[in-house]
Amino acid sequence: MTEQIDKALQREYEAGFVSDIESDTFEPGLNEDIIRRISSMKQEPEWMLEWRLKAFRNWLEMEEPDWAHVDYPKIDFQAISYYSAPKSMKDKPKSLDEVDPELLKTYEKLGIPLHEQMMLAGVAVDAVFDSVSVVTTFREKLEEAGVIFMPISEAVHKHPELVQKYLGSVVPQKDNYYAALNCAVFTDGSFVYIPKGTKCPMELSTYFRINEQNTGQFERTLIIADEGSYVSYLEGCTAPQRDENQLHAAVVELVAMDDAEIKYSTVQNWYPGDEEGRGGIYNFVTKRGLCHTNAKISWTQVETGSAVTWKYPSCVLKGDNSVGEFYSVALTRGCQQADTGTKMIHLGKNTRSTIISKGISAGRSNNSYRGLVRMNSSAKGARNFTQCDSLLIGDQCGAHTFPYVESRNPSAIVEHEATTSKVSDDQMFLCQQRGLDPEKAVSMIVNGFCKEVFKELPMEFAVEAGKLLEISLEGSVG
Amino acid sequence: MSSWLQTAVERAADVSDGLALKRQASLELLCDAKWPTRKTEAWKYVPINVWERAELSGATNDTVSAPVIDGLDSLDVVFVNGQLQSVAAESIEGLTLISLSDAGAQAADLFGTIKPDRHLFGLVNDVLATEGVVIDVAAGAEIEKPIRIVNLLGEGAEAHTRVLVRLGAGAKATVIEHYSGNSLSRNTGFAEYQVGEKAQLEHYRFALQTGEAMSIGGCHVELAEHSELNSTLVGFGSALSRIDVDVTHAGSHAFAKMNAIYLLDGKELFDLHSTIEHAVPNGTTEENVRGIVADNSRAVFNGRIHIHRDAQKTLAELNNRNLLLSDRAEINTKPELEIYADDVRCAHGATVAEIDQKALYYMQSRGVSRAQAQVMLNFGFINELVDQMPNEALAEWLRPQLRERFASMEVK
Amino acid sequence: MLSIKNLHASVEDKQILKGLDLEIKPGEVHAIMGPNGAGKSTMGYVLSGREGYSVEEGSVTLDGTDLLELEAEERARAGLFLAFQYPVEIPGVSNLEFLKAAVDAQREARGEEAVSSKDFLKMAREACKQVHLPAEFLKRGVNEGFSGGEKKRNEIMQMLLLQPKLCILDESDSGLDIDALQVVAEGVNSQRSPDRSFVVVTHYQRLLDYIKPDYVHVLSEGKIVKSGDASLAQELEDQGYAWLKEQRAADAEQSA
Repeated sequence: MTEQIDKALQREYEAGFVSDIESDTFEPGLNEDIIRRISSMKQEPEWMLEWRLKAFRNWLEMEEPDWAHVDYPKIDFQAISYYSAPKSMKDKPKSLDEVDPELLKTYEKLGIPLHEQMMLAGVAVDAVFDSVSVVTTFREKLEEAGVIFMPISEAVHKHPELVQKYLGSVVPQKDNYYAALNCAVFTDGSFVYIPKGTKCPMELSTYFRINEQNTGQFERTLIIADEGSYVSYLEGCTAPQRDENQLHAAVVELVAMDDAEIKYSTVQNWYPGDEEGRGGIYNFVTKRGLCHTNAKISWTQVETGSAVTWKYPSCVLKGDNSVGEFYSVALTRGCQQADTGTKMIHLGKNTRSTIISKGISAGRSNNSYRGLVRMNSSAKGARNFTQCDSLLIGDQCGAHTFPYVESRNPSAIVEHEATTSKVSDDQMFLCQQRGLDPEKAVSMIVNGFCKEVFKELPMEFAVEAGKLLEISLEGSVG
Repeated sequence: MSSWLQTAVERAADVSDGLALKRQASLELLCDAKWPTRKTEAWKYVPINVWERAELSGATNDTVSAPVIDGLDSLDVVFVNGQLQSVAAESIEGLTLISLSDAGAQAADLFGTIKPDRHLFGLVNDVLATEGVVIDVAAGAEIEKPIRIVNLLGEGAEAHTRVLVRLGAGAKATVIEHYSGNSLSRNTGFAEYQVGEKAQLEHYRFALQTGEAMSIGGCHVELAEHSELNSTLVGFGSALSRIDVDVTHAGSHAFAKMNAIYLLDGKELFDLHSTIEHAVPNGTTEENVRGIVADNSRAVFNGRIHIHRDAQKTLAELNNRNLLLSDRAEINTKPELEIYADDVRCAHGATVAEIDQKALYYMQSRGVSRAQAQVMLNFGFINELVDQMPNEALAEWLRPQLRERFASMEVK
Repeated sequence: MLSIKNLHASVEDKQILKGLDLEIKPGEVHAIMGPNGAGKSTMGYVLSGREGYSVEEGSVTLDGTDLLELEAEERARAGLFLAFQYPVEIPGVSNLEFLKAAVDAQREARGEEAVSSKDFLKMAREACKQVHLPAEFLKRGVNEGFSGGEKKRNEIMQMLLLQPKLCILDESDSGLDIDALQVVAEGVNSQRSPDRSFVVVTHYQRLLDYIKPDYVHVLSEGKIVKSGDASLAQELEDQGYAWLKEQRAADAEQSA
């Protein structure tokens, strides 16, 4: 059994190739001058620069949080380059034909076919390569529906009123250390606006990929679903294999106006580092959504990558009857450390939230669920249900649960349950006795364990997520 | 450093007895210690400043008799305002019941060996507790009479007492820690229990201080192989009431059953932190914590179960259920699991809810008034744990007090 | 005794009772039958004052007292008893304690003297015996861990102790085997008297073999659509509710 685990753990990172593309990259370092240069590269208006500088000054005053159940060497923020753009991007391509073929090949290797395949799949992709959004497909079709889907750097110019109104409205600049840093140095990301009463005609998707050595990636996503609208957004992340750790500190803000619904799905497969824990992405992400009356925000995430994950997609249920959901599968192996979960802040009456978290730990990894459910005194009749299950594979890993429950309303009901289990010998025996090999049996059992979450994913993603788990688990139990 | 902690450190300089070594070590830790703030995880929900702010007049040394528990024939040790007043004189084979100051080596063997150093006020108790009691039960001895340690706190008192208990292999004993008082006072009461192989400890802590009485204390238990702990903790809140419980499974096949109850009214505060360390295989822990939080009160429960890498085949369950009776009351609960072994069965659950409306209607439909039905349901919710207390006399004594408290709780 | 006039009631904005009329005289036994979702259980809940059920129209009086004005416990004290289809479990509250509180409250409301604990225990034991429940059930939590049959018998036991004027039995036969059914019926029959009335809500004719009704009503879509004597129950059993629907449709056509 141990042997098989080892074999599985030695599996190479499949997305770990490096693209040979000429890049414009800033020298490492972080100061006001760097921020001015980022802003000027992007030809930003003055208000945007001021906003960045304000965030940077705040950040200088803040301390790096240390409460998460993760352990990593101190990050030298001066050793990171904060801007990297593929050179051929200087004159932005007008169509896919103009895109650097190397770049497109990269996407193909990643299994993200920008061309026909995506057309067939009907997915609009805003691909982020290091720091600049490369190209956006399907824009025209979306424009017909009135949907705005563009790089946020472009939205700053084209829809400054929306960006100014909502940027930082859900995650304040001073929210936390990494969010403040992101505000100061973010380079690109997606901007989505769904007009009133509109059901977005297709699923929107962004693939993030970190390519350049020593570059941090700081994307910024802002999604606004106006009254009565609906959008489903998919996010996939990969990074090439490097010996050094790379920092990723993104911020995602969602605004669901009255009666709107946002479904946000993530499959995160950043490079997790090697067997000894060398290299890999440090993933410090702040994701939060604000629900107005009768609105709904649903976060679904499948996290299999990154050396360190620090991520709590949250919902502020401000409007009466609003709904927040969090469905998560987090798989850690090797020396990975994940501290992930959610916050459900109930402010409105009859607000509802559901949290389903499945943590799978293998190898020498540590996997923690950290969550907060808060019922404010105004949250009359609110309800929360939380189920956190952990599965341990092997006896060198750790599975942890840190749920905070705070209630101030007698009519609010909070239920939290957590269990821990392993793939039992009985389960394995049964599967084997029925003719399944151990690998298949484990993968089946783990898939069953995660079923409640997978069923929340859009179809294409569910398949991908299942495959990802299967690969990650190859032979982990004998 | 806070001014109060500063004075505690200064007063500690006077303490020099057989426990000096440990006291000195704790003193050094205290000198470097940080006074907790709201950012200190272990004190997140508790405003500790009331502790410092209170100005105590100093207690008069009245002779007060311990509250009588009908039907309980116990060996009593009584502290009044932190001063030892009496120790049961009855001589029982296999039992040493002696004051801390007279205990000598027996005290030094136990003092500070089980209580973890992370508890700031435990360190304070280390350096300030000159009064206390040592209970040493010889191997194989079964002490039938419960031993009751009564701490009575009057107006203006500041008290620091220590309880040290050792049960030899196969020994059996019942220890009741009974705290009472409702006027402005400050006390730290820490107890350490070393439970030997196959020994059985029946333990009660009644933290019944209310009103202005401020209390920070702890119960720390180490379980040897095949030993058993059956513990019940009952807390009424006060201006500040905090208890840290640590149970360490140091020997395999130990069994810990822990029930805790808190009932809060008015502006009371109660904070219970429990940590169960499973350091070895085959241990079992069952922890059930229930609370009712009324009016303007605030309850905090933090229940941590830590399964170490070697602790395979552990069974550990923790359940925390709360009823919130008012929209000014507050409950903060955090059941934590930290697990490093794969072949274990661990679960925890926490709920916060209002009274079961179906049960309320059912009772009303039988003619019981809504107010009375609420009291009965509250009582029933708590009584499930009272019913599990092995000592019937204690349960009988407790029930009317709980009823009285429920009747006064604001019904909305 | 009980007079229901043009009762309209709803739960969660869904109209369930749509003009229910029913008159019950002292000593009578009325059976209410009807298909699922007809409003049978709702009737019991509305009469007994369950929260969440709102009455839009109509009146209900018990011996001239307006029931709808009263709290649930006041209705019980006025003599109304509902034997629940699914009695709730109340862990930690013992059956005995609960019943003593109920009997005390009801006696006090009626200006009767309180029963001593000793006498009450005797009464309760006697009641248990009558419904074939071991006396140990008195010490257990209310309905806690009881089987379906035990819960139903516990309901009847409570009825014996509380001595109500009007008893509504909500599907007290569901989930019972034949022996338990007889026990329930015997309990009810022993309480029949000229000044006590019963409303027996049931899906099947079976229970009515043991508790003979004076009248049978069919409740459908929130009102009584047909009334008759005991033979109506047999007719329904033989032909089903569909038959009734057809008949009504035919009637409607004729009148049109």
